[in-house]
Amino acid sequence: MKRFMILLLFTALTPCAIAQETEGFTTKIIETAPPPQGMRGTPLNLPDISVIGVFNGYISDDKTDESRNKLEFDEVETAFQGYIYPKMKADVFLAIHKHYDGYEAEICEAKMSFLEVLPGLSAQAGKIHVDFGRLNKSHSHHRPMVDQPSVITNFFGDHGLVGQGLALSYLIPLPFYAEIQGGAWTVPEHHHDVGEGNTAEILDITGSTVTVPIIVESDEFSVADKVYTGRLLTSFAFGPKTEMMVGLNALKGKGSHYTHHQDNVKITGVDLALKHWPSAYKRWTFQNEWFHLARKVPAGNLNRDGGYSLVNYRWSKYWDAGVRFDYSENAMPVISYERVYSAMLTRRLTETTHARVQYRHKNLYGEKANEGWVQMSFGIGPHSHDLE
Amino acid sequence: MKKIFLAITGLALWTVPAVAAIKVMTTTTDLKYLVERVGGDKVSVESISSGDQDLHFVEPKPSMVVKLRRADMLVRIGLDQDMWADSLVAAARNGKIVYGAPGYVDTSVGIKVLQVPTKKVDASMGDIHIFGNPHYWLDPDNSATMAGTIKNGLCRLDPSNAGFYAANLEKYRAELALKVKEWKEKMASVKGMKIVTYHNSWLYFAQAFGLEIVENVEPKPGIPPSPGHINSVIKTIKEKGAKYIIAETYYPLKGPRMIAEKTGAGLLTVPSSIGGLPEVKTYFEVFDCLVGKLSQ
Repeated sequence: MKRFMILLLFTALTPCAIAQETEGFTTKIIETAPPPQGMRGTPLNLPDISVIGVFNGYISDDKTDESRNKLEFDEVETAFQGYIYPKMKADVFLAIHKHYDGYEAEICEAKMSFLEVLPGLSAQAGKIHVDFGRLNKSHSHHRPMVDQPSVITNFFGDHGLVGQGLALSYLIPLPFYAEIQGGAWTVPEHHHDVGEGNTAEILDITGSTVTVPIIVESDEFSVADKVYTGRLLTSFAFGPKTEMMVGLNALKGKGSHYTHHQDNVKITGVDLALKHWPSAYKRWTFQNEWFHLARKVPAGNLNRDGGYSLVNYRWSKYWDAGVRFDYSENAMPVISYERVYSAMLTRRLTETTHARVQYRHKNLYGEKANEGWVQMSFGIGPHSHDLE
Repeated sequence: MKKIFLAITGLALWTVPAVAAIKVMTTTTDLKYLVERVGGDKVSVESISSGDQDLHFVEPKPSMVVKLRRADMLVRIGLDQDMWADSLVAAARNGKIVYGAPGYVDTSVGIKVLQVPTKKVDASMGDIHIFGNPHYWLDPDNSATMAGTIKNGLCRLDPSNAGFYAANLEKYRAELALKVKEWKEKMASVKGMKIVTYHNSWLYFAQAFGLEIVENVEPKPGIPPSPGHINSVIKTIKEKGAKYIIAETYYPLKGPRMIAEKTGAGLLTVPSSIGGLPEVKTYFEVFDCLVGKLSQ
């Protein structure tokens, strides 16, 4: 009897383990091993969440290049994408980028897309990679190359043209694809280390002496302040296997050091892409962009040109290779040019995961360098971008 | 001035269709066929993809946007098989064909979908479709359900012709039943036959006709075969006595040819949709071709 009482008391004192179930929980036999972290269930109402990582190895025979001979993450991008209302989407891309001396976190893009404001008319608002030319809109991991063409860096900056503002886009009801876009943006000025007192006396075009701020050589020119863009994109199908896209672009804004340089900027450009799909997986791409920069400074006008030409061939589901030629003048008062010859080879594993090697020969106004990259880019989760 | 007026008039006539048929865009050629069967002369239909394309790998083009811009209805396979259509629909700015609109038709509705994951899936498992195996049109009986879903969509847009669409649907289903009976009779002699397929796309077909898939050439969906996996497939074929290796016309055939040579299994390159081979022009001819090759 005593033993029975002790057993009963023991049982009563261990309710969770033996006799009772806590509310909201049940007892079951485990049929499959619980998954480890990273393989758990996903609630149905979450937005699409994804991470893209870009890891680069870079070598160069330019001994003054401090970033050479390193293996490091170039970028980690996290995306949250989903519908916020019928015909309204939100896309937020947060990125940590490698800069010269470390990593910086930033909002890469954060935009609301109004898919149909009126029939044929859509709008986007927020911080956006501006649809200007063919490559500017695409994120770096979506491009068929490791670097970006010199003209984009020289005229728009390391990250291309990214503005905060509003864009309207209208699909013109024509028998062929014709889309016209207009955007109004604010782009922050760069900080500048030149004081207000740095001026010089120069002769203007009438022969009079004028005082102007000194324009300091910098490799960080880009457009800034209030920027207005326009783009007309057309596309023509030559049968089911060939398509040609032609774009015309125009921009009006100011320089990124406007306070000091007082430069008004206009950029015009044309882009052309010809794509041919010989069979299910094969594709030829011939892509070209050309921009003309007119930078009006107190001392006169600077006119600069730049562009690139890319040929890419995808011969299977998994492999593509390309060559690119760049020519670009800088945006600075003392003109220099850059010629770049590149070759790249890509092995794709999935839509967002690839391995790539690229060779680049750069001739920067006589200073030559040979550079190479090995790139691994991976994607986790559903990740998408607008039609490019 | 007269020339300008004529040019504008010409352009307007070019862009406005002469017949007010329902303009339907489909993501596949098989869906185009089904819409034509149900819609008859009340619809004008165009497929975005062609039958010789890998549906996982269709590249969106601006010319497709133009067609979707003018469409009254979009008919798609769904289950993420034609996910590329999403960016096209967004670019087309056409409220008639967005998800939830009357003109949005997903023919996977009502289909008994196979291989629906019951636990978390990720890329370690290959290109797994989170809503299940999307190749359901390869069971011909499923086309009766698909045609019914299309009929419902057409009736939403054009209720005045509901009787016409319903009659066409019944006619299609009756014809289909006869064809399915014919195909099953032909396949009866090979029922239980073991096969290897390149991609995991023939499950519905195998289930419909009593075939057993013993292995895929791809080690996991969408992952190209390694030499090690090819050796494993060769071993499996020899062990289990698989008679055929089935590959869609667009897949690379180097691996399957090597397997066929080393095992003696027949290599069948077959269409999985209308247009997969030039002579396959209807949905019924897809199965005529498949059944003809397998039942030899």
